[in-house]
Amino acid sequence: MDVVVYGVINSVSLALVALGFALVYGISRLPNFAHGALYVTTGFITWSFLKSLGLNYVISGVLALIITGLVGAGIYRAILIRIRGMAISEIIASYAIGLAILEGFRYWGFKGMTYTLPTFTKKTFILLDVPVDGHRVLVVVLGAFVMFLLWAFTHYTKVGLALRGMAQDERAAMMLGIDSDLMALLAMGLGSALAGISALFLLPLGNIVVEKGYDVLIQALAVCIVGGLGSWAGAILAAFIIGFAQVVSTAYLGAKFQMVVSLIAILTVLILKPSGLFGRQKELEERV
Amino acid sequence: MKRGLLFVCVVGLILGLWMNPVQAQKPIVLGCPLSTAFLYGWTAEKGVKLAVEEINAKGGVKVGNETRPFAVEVIDTRDLEPGVPVSEALMAVEKLILEKKADFILGGPVRSEAALAAMPLLSKHKKISILSTGALSPKYHETVAQEYDKYKYCFRIHGEAKQLVKEILMGFEELKQKYGLDKIYILVQDVAHARASGEIISKLAKEKGFDVKGMEVFPTGTTDFSMGLMAVKRSGAQIMNIWMDMPESAILLRQWYDLKIKALPFGSTLAAAEQPGFWKATEGKGEFTLCNVVNAGNAPSNATPWTMQFYDAYTKKYGIEPEGLGASSSYMAVYALKDAIERAGTLDPDKVVEALEKVDMEGVYGRLRFDPKSHQVVPAFDPKEGAVGSILQWQAGKRVVVLPKSIAKGEILIPQWMKEK
Repeated sequence: MDVVVYGVINSVSLALVALGFALVYGISRLPNFAHGALYVTTGFITWSFLKSLGLNYVISGVLALIITGLVGAGIYRAILIRIRGMAISEIIASYAIGLAILEGFRYWGFKGMTYTLPTFTKKTFILLDVPVDGHRVLVVVLGAFVMFLLWAFTHYTKVGLALRGMAQDERAAMMLGIDSDLMALLAMGLGSALAGISALFLLPLGNIVVEKGYDVLIQALAVCIVGGLGSWAGAILAAFIIGFAQVVSTAYLGAKFQMVVSLIAILTVLILKPSGLFGRQKELEERV
Repeated sequence: MKRGLLFVCVVGLILGLWMNPVQAQKPIVLGCPLSTAFLYGWTAEKGVKLAVEEINAKGGVKVGNETRPFAVEVIDTRDLEPGVPVSEALMAVEKLILEKKADFILGGPVRSEAALAAMPLLSKHKKISILSTGALSPKYHETVAQEYDKYKYCFRIHGEAKQLVKEILMGFEELKQKYGLDKIYILVQDVAHARASGEIISKLAKEKGFDVKGMEVFPTGTTDFSMGLMAVKRSGAQIMNIWMDMPESAILLRQWYDLKIKALPFGSTLAAAEQPGFWKATEGKGEFTLCNVVNAGNAPSNATPWTMQFYDAYTKKYGIEPEGLGASSSYMAVYALKDAIERAGTLDPDKVVEALEKVDMEGVYGRLRFDPKSHQVVPAFDPKEGAVGSILQWQAGKRVVVLPKSIAKGEILIPQWMKEK
């Protein structure tokens, strides 16, 4: 039962981390390599509001999310819009921005164990005879709720439908009067805020450290590649495959194999279906 | 008028030079290759700079007939960061030697793998290096002993893994005698010194009659330890011996508390628990964690009269207590070097090596001497005999030194839930 309980927790955590990246790529075809930096930025901003200004935790978190969303949208408007469609340039530019943000934090002295966020609850629950700390249980519940909200937003709101239209066929969406740049800007803002939401949920489990930004980017990339770049449903399914692969390998082979097993899972999926589980980029070539 | 002004300037200049002779001399450059984003890097940098400030304030270092100040050059090696290749640290060392013209290398490289890889480089440039933080691998001083002529420029002034293992075993014995705890589970980070130490402690603990239930190796950067902790719980282990220097080990200790695992965490190079910020970082959940901070002075004790002097000076200068491995040893590395240079009367590396081999002084963590064959600081359990270690336990928000007995300030405690049947 340990494997089931912690497998679900690990998978939901991975899905949360990857969702923002998948959303931005799905809509604007823009690989946001500053995703991890925006994750860490939310953590440091929340910490600053909470500890330096003494604001309430919820208010600090909401303000941090708004700021992170605006930073993400600002990055798109100021830099990425100019190179949109040039895949390599997009990767290099967004990675450079992420690097500057993360190393900037390090340069400004954001290092050490001082930067932590309080957990949502200090209780411990017993689920299926397995003890689990309350915060992790809340991560699963709130994570599922965020995914539901995102689904509802993209299916029942005008902006959400426009975003989906863009994701399906940008040219057709433009013919219907949808402003492609505005939607990409919104997607970048929303994707950045999603990176921020995952930070608010997951950072209280440990410390806010610069290195986390790099880890998060790698995790998001792995999940999105297996799921199929641009597919939100694929990202969630991939998060469960990798999440369970890690937990099963830790339980039966040892913790040191968890990275190896998750990499094997990625390689296996890519050998069998190079576009990822729900990817459509090379679908035609694969069929041929 | 103009001539008068010129006269005043010249007299001022002469007086300035006369009144501050140390500053006028060419400084002795101490090159510090340190992973500054991590505890063992930044705390070493602080230790070195504190000692240099004190020495320069008292006039500097006497080299033959002249007195020269120390100057510090630090380059971030990033060798404690996951995924950063050893070559980065080697480039930092080379840059310190060739570009910054470092006369001596102090502090790092911090990761054992990088420190070992830097040895041929130091030998090639005949550059004396005193390792004072991070690197714990016994292979370092064993290599010096095996190829003395080649590696005689390499010294280490902090404790190494074998001594740490002895200290940890002493802690196990104490726990066995006091609380009857004799079942151990070992949790290590996937890095050279931790894996090696885990293997050694497993072997020695078995020889001493302890029941070693298992060993789990976690990749650097692990953020969820629940499955490993469940394995500890199932095994019935009573002591959790941890060898991890990654900051994520704070998560392990939070989960240990949340899951109420009945095994006392006993860490070595457990960087997270060494730092004063650990209590806040774990919201107090890390209480009862035992942790080896390698040398006295990195936590409050009265090992020697100098221990608390250093402790207070560090706290006053930086607004935080000495934070862990690297603080007291890096501070003492500067003083040991000063002593050797003054006795050698020159900066000639071969002569300073000879002088360092004869260092015998009372330092922050006891009597300081280097083994003349291996250049490893001579360890001891009594500060009068040699460099003494320091094992602390988190008790009610404070770091209390509990072992070795010669410098202890309190007794080992265990949480209430471990006492319940």
